[in-house]
Amino acid sequence: MPAVILQLRKVTVDKRTYSEVNKDILRLMTKTGPGYYAALGIVASLAGILFFLPWAYQIYRGQGVTGLNVPVLWGVYLVNFVFWVGIAHAGTLISAMLFITKTPWRRAIARGAETMTLFALILVALYIFIHMGRPWNAYWTMPYPNQRELWLNFMSPIMFDVFAIGTYTTSSAVFLYFGMIPDLASLQHQTTGWRKKLYSTLSLGWRGTDAQWTVHGRATMFFSSFIMPLVVSVHSIVSWDFALSLVPGYSQTVFAPYFVTGALLSGLAGVMLMFTIMRWAYPFLTKYVTDYHYDRVGALILALSLVWSYFTCMEVFTGLYANTSLELEHLKFKILTLPYFKLYFLMIFCNSILPLSLIFKKLRVSRPFMLFLCIFVLIGMWLERYLIVPNALSRKFLPFMWHDYTPSWVEVSITLGALMFFVSLFMVSIKLFPVISLFEVKEDIGIPMKHEHRKDGA
Amino acid sequence: MSGNPIKAIIERLKEFRRPGYYKNYDHKWTMVIDLDRCNGCEACVTACYAENNLPVVGKEDCGNSRVMNWIRVERYVAGEYPDVKVKFIPILCQQCSKAPCELGCPVYATYHNQDGLNVQVYNRCVGTFTCATYCPYDVRRFNWFTYKWDAPLEQQLNPDVTVREMGVMEKCTFCIQRIRAGKDKAKDEGRAVKDGDITPACAQSCPAGAFTFGDLNDPESRVSMLAKSRRRFRLFEELNTEPSVIYLKKVFADGGGNPPVGGHTLAGGHPPVKEGHGG
Amino acid sequence: MKRRDFLKYIGVGGAGGVLGFIFGKVSKPPVGKLMPYLIPDPDIIPGVANWYASLCAHCGAGCGVLVKVMEGRVKKIEGNPEHPVNKGKLCALGQALPQTLYNPDRLKKPLKRTGERGRGQFAEISWEEAVSTVAKNLVDLNKSGNANKAYLLTHPLRGTFAKLAAAFMSSLGTSNIYEYELFQNRNLLYALETSMGLDCIPRYDIENTKYLLSFGADFTSTWVSPVLYSDAYGKMRQAAPGNRGKLVQVEPRMSLTGASADEWVAARPGAECVLALSIAYALVEKGYYRGGEVDAWRSALSKYKPSAAAHIADVPEKRIYEIARDFAKTRPSLAIGGETVSSYQDGVSGLTAVNILNHLAGNNGIKGGVIANAAGEKPDFKKGIAALIDDAAKGRVKTLIINNTNPVFTTPDGAKTVEALKAVGFIVSLASFKDETVALADIVLPLDACLEDWGDDEPNPSVGYPCRTLMQPAVSRAADTLGAGDVFLAVARAVGGKTAGRLKAASYADYLKDAWRDEYAKNKRMSAGTLTFDDFWNASLKKGGWWHPVGETKKAMRVSPSAARDAASKGPSMFEGDAKDFPFYFMLYPHHVHRDGRGANIPWMQELSDPMTSVVWGNWIEINPKTAERLGIREGALVTIESPFGKVSAPAYLYPGIRPDTAAMPIGQGHDAYGRYAQGKGQNPIRILPFKNDLRTGAFAVNSTRVKISPAAREGGIVKLEGTANEAGRDIAQTVSVSEYMKMKKEAV
Ligand SMILES: Nc1nc2c(c(=O)[nH]1)N[C@H]1C(S)=C(S)[C@@H](COP(=O)(O)OP(=O)(O)OC[C@H]3O[C@@H](n4cnc5c(=O)[nH]c(N)nc54)[C@H](O)[C@@H]3O)O[C@H]1N2
Ligand SMILES: Nc1nc2c(c(=O)[nH]1)N[C@H]1C(S)=C(S)[C@@H](COP(=O)(O)OP(=O)(O)OC[C@H]3O[C@@H](n4cnc5c(=O)[nH]c(N)nc54)[C@H](O)[C@@H]3O)O[C@H]1N2
Ligand code: SF4
Ligand code: SF4
Ligand code: SF4
Ligand code: SF4
Ligand code: SF4
Repeated sequence: MPAVILQLRKVTVDKRTYSEVNKDILRLMTKTGPGYYAALGIVASLAGILFFLPWAYQIYRGQGVTGLNVPVLWGVYLVNFVFWVGIAHAGTLISAMLFITKTPWRRAIARGAETMTLFALILVALYIFIHMGRPWNAYWTMPYPNQRELWLNFMSPIMFDVFAIGTYTTSSAVFLYFGMIPDLASLQHQTTGWRKKLYSTLSLGWRGTDAQWTVHGRATMFFSSFIMPLVVSVHSIVSWDFALSLVPGYSQTVFAPYFVTGALLSGLAGVMLMFTIMRWAYPFLTKYVTDYHYDRVGALILALSLVWSYFTCMEVFTGLYANTSLELEHLKFKILTLPYFKLYFLMIFCNSILPLSLIFKKLRVSRPFMLFLCIFVLIGMWLERYLIVPNALSRKFLPFMWHDYTPSWVEVSITLGALMFFVSLFMVSIKLFPVISLFEVKEDIGIPMKHEHRKDGA
Repeated sequence: MSGNPIKAIIERLKEFRRPGYYKNYDHKWTMVIDLDRCNGCEACVTACYAENNLPVVGKEDCGNSRVMNWIRVERYVAGEYPDVKVKFIPILCQQCSKAPCELGCPVYATYHNQDGLNVQVYNRCVGTFTCATYCPYDVRRFNWFTYKWDAPLEQQLNPDVTVREMGVMEKCTFCIQRIRAGKDKAKDEGRAVKDGDITPACAQSCPAGAFTFGDLNDPESRVSMLAKSRRRFRLFEELNTEPSVIYLKKVFADGGGNPPVGGHTLAGGHPPVKEGHGG
Repeated sequence: MKRRDFLKYIGVGGAGGVLGFIFGKVSKPPVGKLMPYLIPDPDIIPGVANWYASLCAHCGAGCGVLVKVMEGRVKKIEGNPEHPVNKGKLCALGQALPQTLYNPDRLKKPLKRTGERGRGQFAEISWEEAVSTVAKNLVDLNKSGNANKAYLLTHPLRGTFAKLAAAFMSSLGTSNIYEYELFQNRNLLYALETSMGLDCIPRYDIENTKYLLSFGADFTSTWVSPVLYSDAYGKMRQAAPGNRGKLVQVEPRMSLTGASADEWVAARPGAECVLALSIAYALVEKGYYRGGEVDAWRSALSKYKPSAAAHIADVPEKRIYEIARDFAKTRPSLAIGGETVSSYQDGVSGLTAVNILNHLAGNNGIKGGVIANAAGEKPDFKKGIAALIDDAAKGRVKTLIINNTNPVFTTPDGAKTVEALKAVGFIVSLASFKDETVALADIVLPLDACLEDWGDDEPNPSVGYPCRTLMQPAVSRAADTLGAGDVFLAVARAVGGKTAGRLKAASYADYLKDAWRDEYAKNKRMSAGTLTFDDFWNASLKKGGWWHPVGETKKAMRVSPSAARDAASKGPSMFEGDAKDFPFYFMLYPHHVHRDGRGANIPWMQELSDPMTSVVWGNWIEINPKTAERLGIREGALVTIESPFGKVSAPAYLYPGIRPDTAAMPIGQGHDAYGRYAQGKGQNPIRILPFKNDLRTGAFAVNSTRVKISPAAREGGIVKLEGTANEAGRDIAQTVSVSEYMKMKKEAV
């Protein structure tokens, strides 16, 4: 066990034992009541009805079933794409960035955040396909050798996206899996039947030797360093889809950090929302995800909200400063025209004003308040993307072509259905894999006495 | 270059970075549009429909701004009764030398050919909309559905031009099929393409003779002459897209020139009568 | 001729051979899709286009076209670069010829009425049955001594077909040929004849003029010969370096042409005549007029001193003098009068006033002014549509042959056209589409599209020298149709007797060729030189007709002061309806591509945005934004337009280019029949007009009533392509002022 970890401040309630941790997580994974099945059934069928069926309809009829038009060719699908990339940022932030900065409270929530990242990225990939006019040709955006010597345009920000998202998904998956190996090894001893088979296969012969732990520790450090730049780069690249264009409202130098900040903000809100709901469903989780987490994440959300607010001001300010018809019309449309006027100020309320309340520790540790706040921040962040992506296109260069955009029922349905799909994936995954990292939580408890250790059988 | 292949490649690549690199190619197709001649009749629009198999989308999709016109005549109005000033400007793909659409396309479905044209490869397009989003001139059109021609209207479809399928982007090609035919014919006759050999459908139809098409690399061509006009301008020149469509300014009788920022007021009172300015 | 153009003119021989024009041997379209490739016609080389020179019949301008044919199908229409009317250019409606040819709603077989008249119920019959039914009716009529109760109502005819129709009718013993079309130049021809002594529409030399004063002539869009004049307009603006003709447009509602004008003079509706005469007075008063009879002119025009006219026409006195000064001093100048003016109840006066202006300014017979043409076709002014409807209503019409004109759509409810037609014993309709008039017929004979038919034309206005255009089939017939000429010949054969004797030709193609043989024999007009007839004929087929510049037609064009007195005696034109109850002048104008309604069945034309409003697939009413604000009408809101004669509704378009006391609507939409693309697109505004016809010319006046406008609660369903017409200060369509432009000495144009 690396010495550094031993010196970390203990953040979880220390009264628990290793066996209790094992039992708790195992119970979560194996004891499944009818409530869970009912919930999963509803969510999964909603995903089918709201997401897969309309998508099939869209593929059959064409993109015309959306509300897209010329010039608003990027609509809700791209908004969702950007939004879910943002959600995916929490995993990397908590697992890698906070690991490297040696922030102790990350351990209990890291696994959950990483899982969320992976599933969010699955949605991101799906949205790329959903957004395409000819999704059956999606593989053409991959560099593969072919006789016609067709190659990709590496100048295209869309191509950057393909690589950024590809890299991010791969490394997130590896990181998640790698971090889970000691837990899987421990679970194989506590389970029987198919689970035992599954976990023993997946644990790749992990035995918990010192040598293995040393390698694991180093590798975690390496992966964290490797993945950390992605926190900044992925959403910067996503922002370049817009910033590298000439479109007023897109062509903003401030976009890269603005998008990254927004991503982290929504990602953290997403994680806390998820844990709050899980704590409600599985009250024993309160032992692991404690007030301390709420306090720390709340503070981080506050900090990110302040930075975000600054960028939002700058975005308006540079437009005003430019003082051209292009920039001013865009701002006028986005901020002063109904219904966007209402949406804009709802966004400001959600992302700037409401998070200011997190100054108060009482509110930071209040679960109902955090639930409420996280939902609002997520709505606000979705609105931010909505007010950028289709809105800027409504007021492009040639006034004769100005046209508004309203999402069609297909787009609305797919948006909600995809959320349901995400939730279904998550619900299934908590039954298959430990959503709380066993070994990291145990690190919190510290090295027990030898006999205790044996009794535990770990 | 002393036989260093890397250096040779770099030199070659540098050529592309030099502004106006297309001068090294055989042609630089250019359209000059005289706004002082254009009267807004839209014969050009219909000619393009006929030549390029543009589908009719119907009332509802027209309302959704999904009309498939590759060229449109934009009309801007300033002033209030009785001092109303109207301006027409036909807008087609500007065939930008530095085309923002090309930057956006991940799969090179839209790219620059050696005649300085921004070409669109329908087969390659996967429909990401990026090109159209990046295009400052909103000239790209998307096949939202599989468009149908009520039988027997499909019999008029021009076999020289593809009928595009659902999910791909399309736009004005400068009537590349006519350019192709003109070049082939010149080649068959063992000569170079002459000025006037090639005329896109819109240019050919225009009753007012507002369009002139030709090769800017040919210093003797009519477009080269017109491009020197002091009335010349290009659309959103400041975006540095270097369009291949050159407009000639409309002459306005009021002495007011361009409308001030904010539009609307152009002329106050009746325009002053200029004795014999017509002659 | 350019070599590359010459190559396009591949002879028609082969294709002509496969076309059976003799009645009963109508050639079928190529079997299926595959057969033409397996057993190709000798003319068909897959992938290689044949070009046929022909004539556009979408309007009366008579433009020459080249038809691109590949694999036996028409692919594209282009202007014939050799043709002196359109010089290789085409208008939007001309481009749409293939969509008439391949229109899914074309009549494909002869029809016989089965239901009650007007219910539109028909059964398909054979050509034999159709023709014998018609012939039997005509023979019976003749036997009963009612030969003079057979009538022909047709669109205005020119060329050989006009002769055929006249021969046919006279052989039956009747001279009842009525020509009708909504915008027919009746008033123009009448004014030219009575005040200038002209038997033609002259060449208005817009191309070379330096100052064009247009009274409501939408010449770049719909007036008389749009392509001819658009070409001239382009040249007037920017042909010679440094020279740029000025356009002043006088009209209450800014037309497409008005939009391009340097100055728009929004005179009061109906008062253009007064304005023109006051300008004429100013010319005399200020001594700009250099001709004789100065005092007679002064006294003839004295009622129209600018000081008085300014009030009537709502144009400042100062401006009238300025226009007079510019019109006189800018050499050459030219005045023209168009649809707006000629569509008033007293349309002739306004057009006469225009002739007076040209006379006083010395514009007649000079380059850049008014140049005479050879005599052209002219309607019988006594035989207006009102006379025909009157005859029909009174039961004087036993048999009516209607050839390709749609009076039910283009006359108002008040004309009671439907009732009158119902009183007709037997109606034969020759048409390509089942329009509102066809719905009333007993027998419907489906016509070829012009791309399938033979024909010829002498354009009017002509081009300053003799010009004859040939129409030839570019493809074989798509359905079981016949050309109008062949229909008449077939009926003549079936009627037998004197009629068959007069019209012996086996097909209209033969008849046409014989007619050209006569022309050739005269040789004077055609200037065929040493060519044999066969060479001449083949050359004409290749070229698309025959024309030869042989010097200008010299004709005296004088206007006398008494003409002025005639024109002046009327004052401003009348509008029905009390100004208090009906506060708005109601102006109707031909839609730029639907024209009088004929273009509404073409999908391209429906989807082509109106250039001034950008509206597609529908109708609208233009209201000044200030007026709309006052009435609480928002853009796109449905409004009810009520005249003393009826009401229609349409969505509002807020149009800054219209007088606040005027409302305007395009004609063309509001069909109840006429195919899937035309039907149910708004309401037809003609319906609510009074049926006012000029007693001298028989022309139906569409600008003749006042209306009131009231907002309806509903959204009007207007679809327009524009986001906004406001340039937002972005300097998109850039301009240069005249003074700057004049400084551009070295302009390389
Ligand atoms: N997306 C993107 N990001 C970039 C770059 C890029 O190319 N794209 N380039 C990088 C580089 S090299 C640089 S130097 C920075 C530049 O970064 P910025 O200085 O932010 O450059 P811009 O975005 O070009 O311009 C900012 C605003 O100035 C307005 N503006 C233009 N002219 C004037 C003027 O005359 N007066 C006023 N008041 N405003 C005006 C523009 O409309 C725009 O809204 O960006 C860096 N970041
Ligand atoms: N119209 C217009 N012109 C402008 C500006 C503007 O706003 N509008 N902005 C101005 C400003 S602020 C700037 S900074 C300049 C930027 O002008 P440039 O410096 O020309 O910037 P780029 O066009 O981005 O080109 C940089 C080149 O460097 C290459 N490159 C990238 N990385 C490396 C590397 O590691 N090594 C080497 N050797 N090459 C590399 C890239 O492929 C690219 O070809 O443009 C200026 N010009
Ligand atoms: S055809 Fe010519 S005149 Fe007509 S709108 Fe087009 S460019 Fe203008
Ligand atoms: S829509 Fe087609 S052409 Fe445009 S960027 Fe996407 S793949 Fe390229
Ligand atoms: S006008 Fe638009 S589509 Fe055409 S080359 Fe330029 S950016 Fe591309
Ligand atoms: S150049 Fe050809 S493709 Fe382009 S607008 Fe004109 S007709 Fe259409
Ligand atoms: S003006 Fe247009 S519709 Fe009329 S004949 Fe000429 S091309 Fe045909």
